[in-house]
Amino acid sequence: MKILSWILRIVAAAILAQTLFFKFTGHPDSVAIFTAIGMEPGGRILIGVLELIAAVLLLFPGTVAFGAILSMGVMTGAIVGHFTDIGFADGLLSLFVLALVVWICSAAVLVIHRRQIPIIRQMFAKSKY
Amino acid sequence: MSSLSVDLHKLSKFVNLALPVLVIGFLLAGKYVHFYFHFLTVAFLFLTIANVFYLFVQDQHPLLRNFGIVAQGRYLVESIGPELRQYLYSSDTEERPFNRIERSEIYRKAKNIDSASSFGSQKNFDTSEIKLRHSMYPSSHDDLIPYSLTFGEERGLKTAYTITKPMMISAMSYGALGQHAVRALARGAKLAGIAMNTGEGGYPKYHLMEGCDLIFQIGTAKFGVRNDEGYLDDEKLRELAGKDEIKMIEIKFSQGAKPGKGGLLPKEKITREISELRGVEMGKDVVSPPHHKECTDKTTTVAFIKHVQEVSGLPVGIKFCVGSPQQVDDLVQEMVDQDVFPDYISVDGSEGGTGAAPKSFMDRVGMPLFPALSSVNRILCKKGVRNRLKLLAAGKLINPGRQILAFAMGADAVYSARGFMLSLGCIQAMQCGNNTCPIGITTQDPALQRGLDIGTRSVRVKNYVNNTMHDLEELLAASGERSLDDLSIDNLFIPEDSTLAPLVHDKYIDSKH
Ligand SMILES: Cc1cc2nc3c(=O)[nH]c(=O)nc-3n(C[C@H](O)[C@H](O)[C@H](O)COP(=O)(O)O)c2cc1C
Repeated sequence: MKILSWILRIVAAAILAQTLFFKFTGHPDSVAIFTAIGMEPGGRILIGVLELIAAVLLLFPGTVAFGAILSMGVMTGAIVGHFTDIGFADGLLSLFVLALVVWICSAAVLVIHRRQIPIIRQMFAKSKY
Repeated sequence: MSSLSVDLHKLSKFVNLALPVLVIGFLLAGKYVHFYFHFLTVAFLFLTIANVFYLFVQDQHPLLRNFGIVAQGRYLVESIGPELRQYLYSSDTEERPFNRIERSEIYRKAKNIDSASSFGSQKNFDTSEIKLRHSMYPSSHDDLIPYSLTFGEERGLKTAYTITKPMMISAMSYGALGQHAVRALARGAKLAGIAMNTGEGGYPKYHLMEGCDLIFQIGTAKFGVRNDEGYLDDEKLRELAGKDEIKMIEIKFSQGAKPGKGGLLPKEKITREISELRGVEMGKDVVSPPHHKECTDKTTTVAFIKHVQEVSGLPVGIKFCVGSPQQVDDLVQEMVDQDVFPDYISVDGSEGGTGAAPKSFMDRVGMPLFPALSSVNRILCKKGVRNRLKLLAAGKLINPGRQILAFAMGADAVYSARGFMLSLGCIQAMQCGNNTCPIGITTQDPALQRGLDIGTRSVRVKNYVNNTMHDLEELLAASGERSLDDLSIDNLFIPEDSTLAPLVHDKYIDSKH
């Protein structure tokens, strides 16, 4: 379980991190996508920062679940974007698949580390009082 | 309450419907208004999923299954309830075991701040509160006889031990306490010139570091002095008793928080070091047996006391919480018959504290201190052996006002455990057994102990002792007596309705000698 969790986390974090390069350097493809959804340029940086945070949180043992939730959130947004504004033409399909992979890895990680989710943990904790 | 649950019902129906509707709404807004709306789409989608999970998937929590995510609020509020009550909603006299007024008196004494209060007392003046009778002719300070008590003088011991302050640190083991707390208390004891009980934690490594006078406690599991079968290892005891710092030995038969049950050290708190000092395994709760293997009845019990006295060569006391005074009577008779007396008896009231004990034992077993103490005192007086030993008391004796009542009921000196924890800064978080003490007192976690600075805390311990002793002297002077020894039940006002009222009428016996 521990090894599986590490593999999933590294895959998700690696994919997230790799796209950052394109986002932060303002690669034309990236700019095109964010123009399509009307978020250029602020939204591109914002999403990039969120992805960076998600990747870091995923890698620290104490914050895995939070990273997983955040990365699922951003990826859900991406998936929604593909369906509504971005589409799947040319290289965009592969980007969509990557988003899906990150989403699935994060979901699996969340299941493994579900006890870390604060509210649920409190409910499962044995009562002290 | 019923109107509240109806509200919850309606509210949850509304929320359960509103969540998916909002998701669709935001999705549309994201498509046609601006993509930024999808942040809300995602957030509400997740809430909807959590809600579906609560309503249809999980089956552990009926409340969540019936009402969904709205009910989560209840768990949230409940989980912070103790903090809310402590910080916001509890009145100053409401909390247990120690209310805010009692706690802040200790904090003030420990910080050396004036603890005078204004306008009037917040205590009850009804028919059950015991008060000290003051005299029309209080003693002047110069008339007071300096306090001094010598353990073991009755047996003419060369190792007899004299204390000059009537207050000592009651048993708390290393294990229940972390090393910072142990060392802060031990250093404080040294600064204040009082003795500290090691508790049943085995070899007192950290207690010894600070060079204060120690009373080594032999618990029922005999940590530190046990052989493989759990009997006393004479050699180990002799070696410990030979240490300069160790002045007395205490055999613990029971303690107020869990009388009739052995100690319990939860596995969370057993570090490698603790397992070595105590000679126990890691990863398992350590449960001490309910009684000493050597002591199965009064004869063997008295014989065991004698054995420990002979092996150690030191004054030897015993500690118990009273269950039945008749049993104490029989035990004392056995002492008379064998002509063997412990050098002191420490009576622990059932209101005593602990690191961990089953709730039913904490709440429902044993006699409270005052009736227990006075019945033991009376038994000793009746048999004419009160002068063969010293009598100690413990059980919420954290402030001078309560301590003086114990002295009047027969105690020669008092013990406190939680008073000293409060002086270290304990906020009564009630987590002593979870290894999560937020102040770092009852935890082995180095990160939590970091906040507990041994140097400053030990000064607080000293201040607490000195200020308490100061107030105690003032009380004594007000009573018109010249020493704690002179106090008797006559110095107390005990209302008719009090369970202790019969004491007042029991005139044939009320003196310590
Ligand atoms: C954290 C903690 C640990 C304790 N450990 C021991 C122990 O090892 N042996 C013992 O006889 N009593 C132990 N006690 C009980 C105290 O020594 C004392 O008898 C009791 O708490 C009453 O005093 P108090 O009301 O001043 O706290 C412990 C109490 C506390 C709060």
